[in-house]
Amino acid sequence: MVFEDIVSRISGHARELPAKDAVLFVRDQGREQVTERLSFAELDRRARATAGWLRARCAEGDRVLLLFPSGLDFVTALIGCLYAGVVAVQAPAPNNQNRQGARTAGIAADADVRLVLTDSRHLATVSEFLAAPGLDQIPCVATDIEDLGDGADWTPPRADPDAEAILQYTSGSTSDPKGVVVTHGSLMHNLGLIQRSLGPHRDTVACSWLPPYHDMGLIGMLFSPLFLGCTVILLSPTDFLRRPHRWLDLVGRYRVTFTTAPNFAYDLCTRLVTDEQLAGLDLSSLRHALNGSEPVHAATLTRFAERFAPAGFRLEVFKPCYGMAETTLFVSGTPLDRSPVLTAVDRAGLERNVFTPAPADPDAALLVSSGRVLDLDVRIVDQDTRQVLPDGRVGEVWVRGASVAAGYWRNEEATEATFRAVTADGEPGFLRTGDLAVRHDGELYVTGRLKDMLVIRGRNLYPHDIERDVAGMHEAFRGLHGSVCSVPAALEEIVVMQELRPRGGDALDLPALAGRVRGELGERLGVRVANLVFLRPGQVLRTTSGKVRRSVMRELFMTGALTPVYEDLSADISRRYRGASA
Amino acid sequence: MTTPKQDTAATDTAATDPDAIRDWLLDRVAFYLERPVTDLRPDVKLVEYGLDSVYALTLCGDIEDEYGLELEPTLAWDHPTVDAIVTLLREMISGNR
Repeated sequence: MVFEDIVSRISGHARELPAKDAVLFVRDQGREQVTERLSFAELDRRARATAGWLRARCAEGDRVLLLFPSGLDFVTALIGCLYAGVVAVQAPAPNNQNRQGARTAGIAADADVRLVLTDSRHLATVSEFLAAPGLDQIPCVATDIEDLGDGADWTPPRADPDAEAILQYTSGSTSDPKGVVVTHGSLMHNLGLIQRSLGPHRDTVACSWLPPYHDMGLIGMLFSPLFLGCTVILLSPTDFLRRPHRWLDLVGRYRVTFTTAPNFAYDLCTRLVTDEQLAGLDLSSLRHALNGSEPVHAATLTRFAERFAPAGFRLEVFKPCYGMAETTLFVSGTPLDRSPVLTAVDRAGLERNVFTPAPADPDAALLVSSGRVLDLDVRIVDQDTRQVLPDGRVGEVWVRGASVAAGYWRNEEATEATFRAVTADGEPGFLRTGDLAVRHDGELYVTGRLKDMLVIRGRNLYPHDIERDVAGMHEAFRGLHGSVCSVPAALEEIVVMQELRPRGGDALDLPALAGRVRGELGERLGVRVANLVFLRPGQVLRTTSGKVRRSVMRELFMTGALTPVYEDLSADISRRYRGASA
Repeated sequence: MTTPKQDTAATDTAATDPDAIRDWLLDRVAFYLERPVTDLRPDVKLVEYGLDSVYALTLCGDIEDEYGLELEPTLAWDHPTVDAIVTLLREMISGNR
């Protein structure tokens, strides 16, 4: 069978649906909203021009770094790279907060990029950023003001499933970025998988505010619509966060049927959309409201569905899903004809890695299924013995199949460890995801992250559960963040770090508060929580997407690098980590 | 009791009154943080109260809508306290910036 690549898909749409909108970009300009349109024919024309220009400067397979905000210039530069047969690498455009700068520099160096493309608005900042040693030989061009030519003599690159299409730099650390190598073959397989699993099609209308450099925004909400030949409406993450109702407004305005967001965005809308804004919304056209990329909470789904029912939203439209950059994007999802599956599960069993439905138990944990697996070989594996586990047992998710990426860019060691795992039975070629999940009745329930999980006296405890419990224990913790980890001692011990609100008048009795937290956690978990650290608001570090950086917090605790408001540690931990005498 | 944003277009006089701007801002911040407004001081950095990057942007949108201004998304980093934002807004409203 002849391999059809994304380039031939898109140029095919340009021939068959030339005038159809491929991408609409809606942006706020002062109090007005401006809409920019890109038809399939225009996308094809601009991609050809970009490709012609790139081919004069790059060899096939060279990497080109794209530093763009959301918008049509990003889309045409990205597709232009693929039309040229060069490998597109995406990262956030550096801004004056300078928080992304080091990370983007690390990506530019690791990917060994030949060129940087940006837009005229970011050219000065990006050029300044490229003045750093090691990067100063990399040319930088703004595609919206450069004369790219007309691409008249463009010919498509040879369609090769093994050729690299893009590098996805996931949330790996700043000092050690890892680029996931997505080949044309895995890209096309995953885009087909999304279509087969969820059922979007040519008449789907998609809408997204996700960052274009993020796997879910890039693969799920840009490549997937372009692959299908449907229209996607984009707005920038910043415009969404400034006015969350804008996202929902667009659903009614364009009769959007398909949208995606992480769990927090649904919570944000439930909390911030006013009654007046709600009255103007029409969400009745939605068929897919995907929820993925962070843990999916049952309460988020039910609260959102309740709040937006008057606007025509129905709970069954929620389609929880699961995936990661290492599998291109998609692993599992909830099919179009199915409602999200919420299952009450016995907590004590879950702590012992066993999934036991407990429908009548008022204290049961309500887990949300991330849907069903199609066309990929997904196993639940004991992370220590590498034995494949039966349904109903919690273990690490291992994935094998055509959507799995080729490995980490020029990093044989990490590729070997992550992409070439072998089960105890000797089955090779699995990706180790580091996520914990259980399969039950064909549904995949993601229960946590392997590296964050606490194993205390043979029981598995999930940091986010303990963090949530602690946050609810006192007024002084409300709305702030905590980070829970375990550290080695004579026995592995739990450490609870929690931000504390400074109070104006009456000072808190910190030892008493520590005692109370310790007592309540002990009762609730049945394990000792000897080590409590109270921090100032902001001291619990989080990623830009808001996830608590637990491993960094653990490191800071162990090295004594935190300056806590108050710290109360067990004698053993004090001795080992604070040098206190016995 | 703080409430979700209502459409309370500021009148011209109220718009430049620093106390009115400060009270309105504190009310919004209290809403985002889910804390009583009496807990908050206008000279304490918002990040110290735990205002995260998501709500910093949402606050930015609120101010734009309330005062008809256009602000940088980095507002809360460049002007980290309520008092600092009040100063900026007064300058912008009276046309000095």
